[in-house]
Amino acid sequence: MKILLCCGAGASTSLVAQSMMNSLPENEKANYIINAITYDLFLDHYKNYDVVLLGPQIRYKKKSLEKEALGDNIPVDVINSVDYALQNGTKIIEHAKQLYKKAHGA
Amino acid sequence: MLNEIMAIITHAGDAKSDAFEALENAREGDFDIAKKLLDKSRTTMIEAHKAQTQLLQKEAQGDDMKISILLIHAQDHLMTAKLAQELIEQLIEQTKEIQELKKINGL
Repeated sequence: MKILLCCGAGASTSLVAQSMMNSLPENEKANYIINAITYDLFLDHYKNYDVVLLGPQIRYKKKSLEKEALGDNIPVDVINSVDYALQNGTKIIEHAKQLYKKAHGA
Repeated sequence: MLNEIMAIITHAGDAKSDAFEALENAREGDFDIAKKLLDKSRTTMIEAHKAQTQLLQKEAQGDDMKISILLIHAQDHLMTAKLAQELIEQLIEQTKEIQELKKINGL
């Protein structure tokens, strides 16, 4: 699964991306691509991913970003604030998986 | 230290998002929701400040505080969120005035 993380500058989400990767068991790491970027580059990149997760600091941008990605069936959601602050990689991966399942009806 | 930095970023970011959503609601004429979101934004900002205070206290106690780009980034978040919040408070008042004027003038 390819997961795109977006926040203001892609700085704090790059730490979150790392903690998500670290939370994965060794044999699953190869199945995931997790990258963090600034939301300014959202339009250039989102099509290369299965799921987009936003940092809580750009929650107010969800509506407009979601609209862009809707036609491509790429779910966009905001990361839970507590999971974000504590960098709970496991929970954030689970969140991404659920979004993916919901979008693809699997 | 990373915990405090992430707490600053998350809480300040949450507060900023709430403030922007408050403005959006105000522009749609929903001033009750706007007020609730702005209140929530203020409460959340206090949490961000608390995290910052923890760092300041550690430094005052003589702990060796390593300055990182991420820490600077967290301070950026805190201050831009604070500014956004204060500006949005004013903008919501202006939005109210504009909508009242429109009503008076039948627009």
